[in-house]
Amino acid sequence: MSGGVPDPAPEARAGADEIAERHDYLARVLDEIDEEVVRRRSSGDLPPRVERELDAMFLRYSPMGGDDGTLDEVLDLVESSSFIDPVVPISSSRAGGGLAKRTIRQGSLWYMGWVTHQVSQFASATSRALRVLDDRVQALRTELDAQRVPTAPVIETPWAHGPGAWWVDPALESLAGQAGRVLHVAAGDGWLVQRLCAAGLDAYGVEPRADRIDRAALEGLDLREEPVLGHLRAIAPRGLGGVVLSGVVDAMTAAERGVVVDLAAQKVAPFGHVIIHSLSPKAWVSDEAPVEADLASGKPLRPRTWAVVLGRLDFDVEVIEGPTSDDYLVVAVSGGGREGRGAAG
Amino acid sequence: MKVVFVTPRYGPEVMGGAESASRLLAEHLALEARFEVAAYSTCALDHLTWENELPAGDSVMNGVALTRFEVAAKRELSFFTLDERLRRAPRHVSFAQSQRWLELNGPDVPGLVAAVKEGDADVAVFSPYLFWPTVAGIRAAPMPTVLHPAAHDEPALYFPVIGDAFVATDALCYYTAAERRLVQRRYPVAQKPQIVLGIGVGDPVEGGRAGRDLLGLDDRPYLVSLGRVDDHKGSAMLDAFFRRYKERRPGPLALALVGPVSSTIEPHPDVVVTGAVDEPTKWDLLRDAMAAVSPSALESFSIVIMEAWEQALPVVVNALCEPTREHCARSGGGLWFGSYRQFEVIVDRLCADANLRRRLGANGKAYVQEHYRWPALAARYALFLESVVERGRAAAI
Repeated sequence: MSGGVPDPAPEARAGADEIAERHDYLARVLDEIDEEVVRRRSSGDLPPRVERELDAMFLRYSPMGGDDGTLDEVLDLVESSSFIDPVVPISSSRAGGGLAKRTIRQGSLWYMGWVTHQVSQFASATSRALRVLDDRVQALRTELDAQRVPTAPVIETPWAHGPGAWWVDPALESLAGQAGRVLHVAAGDGWLVQRLCAAGLDAYGVEPRADRIDRAALEGLDLREEPVLGHLRAIAPRGLGGVVLSGVVDAMTAAERGVVVDLAAQKVAPFGHVIIHSLSPKAWVSDEAPVEADLASGKPLRPRTWAVVLGRLDFDVEVIEGPTSDDYLVVAVSGGGREGRGAAG
Repeated sequence: MKVVFVTPRYGPEVMGGAESASRLLAEHLALEARFEVAAYSTCALDHLTWENELPAGDSVMNGVALTRFEVAAKRELSFFTLDERLRRAPRHVSFAQSQRWLELNGPDVPGLVAAVKEGDADVAVFSPYLFWPTVAGIRAAPMPTVLHPAAHDEPALYFPVIGDAFVATDALCYYTAAERRLVQRRYPVAQKPQIVLGIGVGDPVEGGRAGRDLLGLDDRPYLVSLGRVDDHKGSAMLDAFFRRYKERRPGPLALALVGPVSSTIEPHPDVVVTGAVDEPTKWDLLRDAMAAVSPSALESFSIVIMEAWEQALPVVVNALCEPTREHCARSGGGLWFGSYRQFEVIVDRLCADANLRRRLGANGKAYVQEHYRWPALAARYALFLESVVERGRAAAI
């Protein structure tokens, strides 16, 4: 057994080097720009009021702000809107209009100024409170980041993660006749998705590692570069006929594994399949184990533990050990038992 | 295989990004021998009024069988009041409110939806997501449907009625991975067949004239911003930033705003507003510019960035626009600004550093060549459509 990923071809490596060089160059230029922005801002060469007005203009047609860390930008928008200007514009396209507006403005400025001053004060205090809150959240985040358990890596071994692996045929047999879509997580270049499609299944794949799927995508397979949990969360409940997880759960911590299993259970239809391939604890401690065995926070479960974990979620579970006990396959069928196979969809 | 594309507006005179993308895709798909391509649209050209300006009926446009339907009623002014109200808290809009919003947003073309319902196409393609024919058409279609959302992170995306279209469609086609992330944050559609395609760029058709001559700028360098000149597209912001820049950096640099104008841009000696231009003029203007600027925060792809890169031009984009920023980050072909200060520093750098301009432009061009060229893109899409048809109109699991 040998660990890690095979070396890419020389031309692929050259292409990757060129892309990395492009990205490095861009990152360097962007860093220089940021430094220069900081330098100029501290020099005070642009009145703060003008800068604030321009930035408010920038934010006027900004996106809604999703779940992707844009709180800072939203706060910028709040701050830029917190000053209410009592000095209304007086330009007019009509003759005498400007003069009339100026007169009204002068007459009402003391009143407008009093009202807007209080509203501005309130808005300013609110935005300041939000900024303090954001600062505290950021500080907490930084502290937590230092203690954060890294996301489990995908485990890939040439003997267990390819079309010739012993577990592929039993997995295909289990899924035979499945009418719902089948998802392969950690799909690599789509080798299993191809097999599943060739077997008449409606299959697609998700690959969390960058730059793995371009070639396959061009061949017409439905393969996507997405994080595992993010993808599973975005699937409709009972939206899948089956999920195949290979190289995904091996190095996971208990917490990560719990989330993945819960999500997989929610997303498969009644009589849908959750199929898991994992290295065994024996393989994990051998000298031939992939380096992730040392670096990852989690470790593979014993096969019989899966039977318990998935059984608690109302799955009918079968565990098939590999020929050398270095790995195993878990085939779990949701509610209704293995007799109901293929009824989904 | 018969494919019908459904868009609220159709034709080369339409500047809407999603509609133009659909038309280009339809025309390139029509070149594939095994496809019979039709398009259903309206007689309208203006998305604010939906006024019938073109004749109803059948015609053929660049190999696509086009049927135009009359819009039953022009847009009511009450739409704008409702839109303003719902935009303030889009996550709290009720289904009934959003249904009303959709009906008022229009265009109201019952004939088009009836034609989809009774049509014999093998697959129907709808774009963009926020108009009535898309939502009603997907509900009514008896054949498999593909939605090209052209989604931005905007209030309408959060309206419940819009969820109908996303949930009911059989497949999705995105312009960028950023658009997919956005949609999937909002709707549970990850299991649906889908593709991240983008839009293809053709060979430039230049007119052979100098861009500076076309703009009346003699030998002055210029930045170009291509597309609808509209507040929502960031044009007014770019105009204000550039005027401020020129106050602080007097010099020969000019700005060309190129495209149909729906914003008021006050005259300025360094700002040229051309209005809509023809294709050769557009390519001439791009070729001779110093850099292209896309100020819009609400783009789902931005074909004009690809066209700028096709001319090996560096681009500058709005940092809050995830798709265009993603293009720049992946290609190494552009820079992004999130404030006036950043804009100023970036323009200073681009003016002063020819090597930077050359490298960004070359990176962008390589990116376009690799990912966004016809006919390879149409061939990928053809395979995708065939897989959708083969899969059929999905029964819910």
